[in-house]
This record gives sequence, structure tokens and C-alpha cells, in this order.
Amino acid sequence: MAFSGKGIRDSRAVTDLADYRAQLREWLDANHDRLAPRFSPPGTLDDHIAQMQRVKSLLFEAGWMQFGWPERVGGRGGSPMMRTELGAAIAGRDLTDPGLYSLIEVLAPTLIDFAPPELAAEVVPRLLSGAEIWCQGFSEPDTGSDLASLRCRAVPKGGDARTASSWVIKGQKVWTSLAQYSDRCVLLTRTGPPESRHRGITAFFVDMNSPGITVAPLEMINGEREFAEVFFDDVVVPSERMLGELNGGWAVAMSILPYERSSCFWQRIAYLYQRLQKLVDAAPDDDRAAEVVGNAFLQLHALRARSRVTQHRLAAGGTLGAETSIEKVLLATAEQTTYDAVRRLLGGVIEMDDGTAGETWRGEYLYSRASTIYGGTIEVQRNIIARRLLDLGSAE
Amino acid sequence: MIDAADRALMEETVRAALASAGANTEIDGILAKLGWLEMLEAEPADAIDVVFSALGATHGAATALDDVVVSALGTKPRPDLAVLLPRFGAWDPPGRIDGSELSARGLATARAARAGELLVVCGEAADPWAATIPLQVAEIAALRGIDPDAGFHAVRVQGAPATATRLAPAAWQAAVALGRRAVSHQIAGASRAMLALARTHALERVQFGRPIGQFQAVRHRLADALVALESLEATLSAAREDPGSETAALAKAVAGRTARTVAAHCQQVLAGIGFTTEHPFHRFLKRSMALEGLYGSADEIVLDVGRRLLAARRVPTLIEL
Repeated sequence: MAFSGKGIRDSRAVTDLADYRAQLREWLDANHDRLAPRFSPPGTLDDHIAQMQRVKSLLFEAGWMQFGWPERVGGRGGSPMMRTELGAAIAGRDLTDPGLYSLIEVLAPTLIDFAPPELAAEVVPRLLSGAEIWCQGFSEPDTGSDLASLRCRAVPKGGDARTASSWVIKGQKVWTSLAQYSDRCVLLTRTGPPESRHRGITAFFVDMNSPGITVAPLEMINGEREFAEVFFDDVVVPSERMLGELNGGWAVAMSILPYERSSCFWQRIAYLYQRLQKLVDAAPDDDRAAEVVGNAFLQLHALRARSRVTQHRLAAGGTLGAETSIEKVLLATAEQTTYDAVRRLLGGVIEMDDGTAGETWRGEYLYSRASTIYGGTIEVQRNIIARRLLDLGSAE
Repeated sequence: MIDAADRALMEETVRAALASAGANTEIDGILAKLGWLEMLEAEPADAIDVVFSALGATHGAATALDDVVVSALGTKPRPDLAVLLPRFGAWDPPGRIDGSELSARGLATARAARAGELLVVCGEAADPWAATIPLQVAEIAALRGIDPDAGFHAVRVQGAPATATRLAPAAWQAAVALGRRAVSHQIAGASRAMLALARTHALERVQFGRPIGQFQAVRHRLADALVALESLEATLSAAREDPGSETAALAKAVAGRTARTVAAHCQQVLAGIGFTTEHPFHRFLKRSMALEGLYGSADEIVLDVGRRLLAARRVPTLIEL
């Protein structure tokens, strides 16, 4: 079978998810050498970003990247689960970092659902094809799990929100992934009174080269600089860049949850299976190791089973809400269990090895400590489960 | 597979019928009247799920597990045919054949005390043989253990004359898989009952001037119990949609872990009252402990699964979207 130019044998023949998956895997196998990272592991963040954009452009060129996205933004339609499969397939083959790649799932749907149609049609293909990187400006120094308390201010130029042709933004964001690489930012701002909480938030799509934006990367516990502080000093944004309604930013923020908790999770799970495979390749063959890897495998399987149930519910038209806090807890726990297993079975590799294995596992192990913190801490998830799923009423 | 509405009706009917049972001895009769064997034949996955979840939730002890295992072994189940289960914690065939003599040791449900015949699987898991013997030749002793109401019996057969027939190579593993799923559904039902009891207590028990369910420490325990339960339900769905030895083994292991997690959190929340026999919590705790040993405990299954991963040096994903 020839795979010159086009990756898909016959686009009309991609009938269902299983068929897409089968054809995709065949193509990924055939194109392994083109897709494989050009750096030796672990690679720097620069290496990983370059690899991700290169893989996206190859997938876009071959037509895989467009499946599951609506036609009005250059997609080829079909079930969004196709995108999930794609992300999982490349994460499971270690072709891209799933955390970086999954920003697509967090940001593109926001533009599709909330941007003016012509803007979405112009920019979404640029994100999918690897031409651009975007970031998400939500968290602030005083706004961790309590997102509704954000303060970064947007005021209408001229004072009247209805007639203003542009808005002026002033404030600070933090924990903005890939801000220093980004071309655009989906930004949440305060447009209501300070105490308006979730009712006074508006979202904007901001060009990161706008005058007044300063990006200061933060060095993480593993030495990488994935996150940044972003300062907005009277940054002017045209009114057409407003996403959703004025003071409707909370709906924009909340709309991300179903994507973050379905496709992004499935991709991360595929990646964790791949990491457990790497551990199983290197682990000693004894009963202590069997118990440790068996336990990690059990947790990953339960998580994968739960994630599948959720995605089928979403695909059948269901809405996702508080119940996804269950898989958030399961994912955080399974991720840490997996890396704890590495630390337990590969004695001293994380702590003392200066070779490739040590450098790779060390960075990932340290990163995994955040899995109970980001995306809403595990404690916040338990609060949601108690309040909304167990109906225990409000807390003290 | 039946549709969602029929399934909901089936759940409600079975649960209501089991809840009305005055004693464990009535439960087999109730299930028979509901058409258990017909359901098992027509829609085995739904029948097992619904009946065993309801048994767990109502603390009912039935002998329906015999029918599940017998039918998985390719024999038509009937009320006077009991099956020999492996010993507590084990999942190998419980019998061995030496010439024309059968010896076996294992567990059985209450059916062994009143049925006429016992089906015993012998030999290796991958090359199983089956023999049906009259129950009179077996030594049967009712087991009190931690949960006398569960109706388990210890069974021993020593050199009984028997004719064994060879089963399909995968028959034993299929029976273990289905047995594990049935027991796991029962554990899930019992775990859900424990959580419901603890939740009610958290809403009603007042200390320091407020219901204890307002304290975050209590809320987080109950939240973790629900996380465990939901992961068990998902694992059981996976075992049903992708049936096989592996998915069933993992479901059983998650069931064991879940029961432990749920019991520990709920018992702590129930505190003093949960330590008494006045409150029903203890029944579900004891039942889940008895059930965990059927076809292997979580720890034993995890160890076995881990050994297989290391032997093959391959981590399979088992289920797809």
C-alpha cells in the first residue's frame, strides 16, 4: 500500500471510529521514521514544542488532523472521538507530550463555540496545522482553585461597553502554559465589579505580540519552563476578539471542562500506559515488582474504563459536569501511582542516575506531583463530589 | 442486550422482590419465580448484573452463583445441581481425577446442603475435566466464618468413583471470568449499601452543633468511597463490553479494593453506631469480606496480573473507545 502524499486511503471509506483507528495506526506505523522525535531523550521543552508542531503539520498534511472537527473551521466532520483517538495514538507512541498536545482540545473548541465564525475559520486551522501555538490565560496569583475570584481587568475604550471598538486589559496571569511560545491567548478578564465573581468575567482572544504584554517563564520543579507569568499593561484588544457574551466568560471557561475531562484524559491515559510499558521493559522479574506494576496497571485500567464510559455518554449527547470529578481523582491518583512504581522498582534511577533514563524519569516523576494540583486540586474535586454527587449539602 | 427502560424495570422488580424476602432460605424461590434461569439463558450479562447487584444491596444470600458457573461450563443449570467453587482465595479447578476416583476440596453455596448432585471441575485450568457426583459421597460442613448468613459450606470429596469428561480448553477460564463478574457485582451492591448508610448517618448525626456531613474530613472520606465505587462500576462495564479473562480478573480485583476502601471510610464515618450489631453496616462489611475470597482476592489477582505483565514484558490496553 502506498502512502505518498495523502495518508488516508480513501476518505469516504473512513466510516466509523474503529475504521479510523485502524487506518490511523497503519499510517503511523508506516510513517514512524518521519514522525519520530529528532532529539535524544529526554529533550528540552524547546525540543518537545518543535516536535509537537512538526507532528501536527505532518498529520494535517496527511489529513488525519481534520477528522472530528466541524467543516466550518476546515475540518472533515465526524465524531470528536476521532480527535481523541489521534491524540491518544501519538501520545501512546511517545511522538508528542500529551500535556502540550491537549491544549488543542482545550482551546480550539472554545474558538469554535464562542468566536465570531470568520475568526474561528481563520485561526483554528492554524492551530491544528502546527502553524501556531495558543495559551490559556485563566489562573492568577491570587486565583488558584477559586477561578471566579480573578482580577485581571478589561475596560471598554471610551467607557461604553456596547459601543467600544476595543478594550484595554491590565493585570497579571500565572501558570500560563507555553505563553512564551504562543501566538494567541484565550484570556479571562474581569469586566464586572470586583465582587461580581463568575457573573462579571469576559473572555478575549488576544494576540500575544500585542504591545504591553510581557511574558516571564517560571522554572518548574523539574527544571523546565513550561509555565509563565504573563503581564498585561494596558493591552488593547479589538471588540471583535471578545469570545462569547460580555460578562459571559464563565460559560466560556466552563465549556472547556467536557473536553478537558474526556479527550485530554484519554490521551493522557494512553501516555501513562506507554510509561508503564517502559517500566515493565526495565523492571526486575520478581514478585515485589509484579505487585507494584500489577497495582499500577489495575488503576490505569479502572481509569480507562471510567473515561470510556464518560466519552460514550458525551458522544451520545450527554452533558458532562460534576461526575467528571471522579475521573479527575482517578487520573491524578493513577498518574502518581505509575511514577511511584518507577521510583520503587528502578532503584536510584530517579534520584542518582545521570544518564538518559535518569534524566527522563526524573523530570516526569517530578512533573507527576502536580497531577493532584492542576485542573482543580484533588481536594476541590472531593468537595464537588460531596456536594454535587453525594448531595451532602453545603460544607461548614 | 435489553434496552434501558426494560433494564431499569428489571432492576426495580428484582430489588423489590429480594427486599421483601423474610429469610435467606426464601431467596432462591423468589428468584425462581422471577424467572432467573430463563433470564440467565436469554440475557446472561443483564441477568448477572441485575441479580447480583441486588443481592449485594439487599444483603441477600442466594445460590444463583451455582447457576452462573454451571452454565458457563456448558451445562444446563438446574436447582438440584450444585457446583464446587475453589477454596477461599484460589481460582484453580478444585478437583483432581486419579483413574476413576475423584478427590476435591473447595467451597460451595447453601445449595450443596440440599441439592442432589455436585459438579466438580478437575485438572489444570487450561485443560479442565468435569464430573458430576452425587452429593451423598461428599463431606459437607456449614461454615460460620465471619458471615454465617452467607451460607457457605466447606466441601471435601475423597476418592469418590466418578467419570470425568473433558471440557473445552477455555471452559474453566470462562467460568472463572463469569463467576468473578457475578461476585464483583454483588460486592458493588454491598459497597453501595455501605455508602448509603454512611451518607444517611453523616446527614443525621449532629456533633458540635451541626451534621457531621458538613465537616470536610467526613465529606472527603465519603467522596473517596464514591470514587472507588464508580471506578468499580466502570470496570464492570468494561468486563461486560469486552468480556474475557483479563477484564473479569481486573474487575474482581477492583471490587476487592473498592470494598476495602468503602468499608474503611464508611465504618469511620459511622463511628460508634457502626461498631454495633444494632446498625446494619456490619452485615455488609462481613459479606464483602466473605465474597472477596471467591475466585481470588484483590491482592492475589494483582500479583498474578503483575507476574503476567512481567513475563510478557507487555502492557495491553485491553479496551478501546
